[in-house]
Amino acid sequence: MKREEIVERLTLIFRKVFNEKDLVLRDDLTANDVETWDSLTHMLMITEVENEFQIKFKLKDLNKMKQVGDLISIVESKLQ
Amino acid sequence: MYDFYSEILSPVIAAIGKYPERNAFMINEKEYTYQQFGECISKIRSALNDRNAKEQVAGLVINDDLETYASIFALWLEGKSYVPLHPNWPMERICDILAQVETGIILDSSENTRYDKDNILSTCSLNYHADHLEISRKFSDDELAYILFTSGSTGKPKGVMISRKNVAAFMNSFWNTGIDIDCEDRCLQCFDLTFDVSVQGYLVPLTKGACCYTIPYGEVKYVYAGSLIEEQKLTFGAMAPSMLRYLKPYFDEIDSTSMRHCILTAEAVPLALMEEWRKYAPNVTLYDFYGPTESTIYCTWYELKKNEPNKTLNGIVSIGKPLANVMAIIVDDSLELVAEGEKGELCVSGNQVTQGYWKNDEQNEKSFFVKNIGGQKRRFYRTGDLCYFDKDGDIMYSGRIDQQAKIQGFRVELGEVEFHARQWLNGKNAVCVAFNNEQGLTEIAMFIESDKFDTVELMEYMHSKMPSYMIPTRTIFLKPFPLNANDKIDRKKLKEAVNG
Repeated sequence: MKREEIVERLTLIFRKVFNEKDLVLRDDLTANDVETWDSLTHMLMITEVENEFQIKFKLKDLNKMKQVGDLISIVESKLQ
Repeated sequence: MYDFYSEILSPVIAAIGKYPERNAFMINEKEYTYQQFGECISKIRSALNDRNAKEQVAGLVINDDLETYASIFALWLEGKSYVPLHPNWPMERICDILAQVETGIILDSSENTRYDKDNILSTCSLNYHADHLEISRKFSDDELAYILFTSGSTGKPKGVMISRKNVAAFMNSFWNTGIDIDCEDRCLQCFDLTFDVSVQGYLVPLTKGACCYTIPYGEVKYVYAGSLIEEQKLTFGAMAPSMLRYLKPYFDEIDSTSMRHCILTAEAVPLALMEEWRKYAPNVTLYDFYGPTESTIYCTWYELKKNEPNKTLNGIVSIGKPLANVMAIIVDDSLELVAEGEKGELCVSGNQVTQGYWKNDEQNEKSFFVKNIGGQKRRFYRTGDLCYFDKDGDIMYSGRIDQQAKIQGFRVELGEVEFHARQWLNGKNAVCVAFNNEQGLTEIAMFIESDKFDTVELMEYMHSKMPSYMIPTRTIFLKPFPLNANDKIDRKKLKEAVNG
């Protein structure tokens, strides 16, 4: 899957979970930038991403996701 | 006997003197020794004195840094109290709190403050000159130690006043449980400083010379905490059960063998989840600690047994017996004691119970009462929790009497959420219900009695009034609302409709 397609699908998930219909994903976006991004919504987002791409994250993966760019790269590597 | 001096100030200052080279904190991957902690307290205390502030209550911007924790002790050494101001809370809520407590001094370690410069004591730019850690005994234990604002059903947050006596009684109770912590322990402090379990989170390590591990803002709490437990080999911590629920898919990836004592608190504790985690944390003793902010952090506790059955009600672990400095009773609507096994409202009394809500006579009238027990007049706080005593005197928790929900451990009065929604809706009705999602976590759903419309503006408005954990995660349009036999909105039906 191309990176652009991953970003596109992730954008839909982020807009839904964080309840921001205009949210634009940037590589350097973090939980600090999105008001509704906390433990609960993070977990909901992770579950949605896992279902969408049919992948499973390890805690170590979650730990590496300091910003959205990391999430995209991890999804990318899991799909290879 | 115990007091604020013997339970808190003296042990913390002694730890600073005794263990200068040991770590007091690990904050955002940086270690701070007890010596650095002492120097930080000293410089903030000196600056407070230079300022000669008359106010007993100071605002404290709760950043995740050494200055913020040191500020608490600098204030306490000067007989003052703090009211925590969250950096991410809407300014309107903060202004309401500051206006209520009428304070003109705010300790802020931020480089760019969002407060009026005249009111700020900037703690990030001070220089250390000399130790200033002497303990004055001139302050009464009736002075306040902190004020915490919790969700209020009328739409206005209410301030719980906690005195030095309350905190001293709590710490004395805590050590009476037999939980042993010493300078070798590594303790998790994962609660926001707006939430009173944080006070246990920093006091337990700091009074013993142990190290306190915090969670930076912007990190996802459960991910960070799970990693801390493994990488730093944490030995003690208090957490909300929802944290373990988030971590459940990763239990087998986290080496939790270092954990000796773990307290579950702030929410109902599901036994199955605890037993699942114990498989991966074989050395841990698990506890369910219960308590509202009004009775200072915890007021009852239950130690989970390892190889024998534990007491539960609907899968929820018993909240056990009162702590040493707490008396607990269960009463009916007319405040008369109920029989063993009979459900009623749990009420607590003793030195841990707050003197009341800050300047809120109406709420104080409702929440406290005096009752004669065994020939002695005692003042009780009504917890709003529905409970009963079993035959051994253990308290079984059954739920809330009112419309309060626990979201990620935070108390949320659904009435407050509804109040703000209705303000914006201008005549249309909104009702909120708490529900458990597929993962067993509590979320808030908001029903709006209207045809469907775009809720972006409504959500923006609500965000300007409340912290994000109070904002509903689901919105459902329904017209008209279902009514029950008494012609009241049928919240039960609405709850069913969330998942339906």
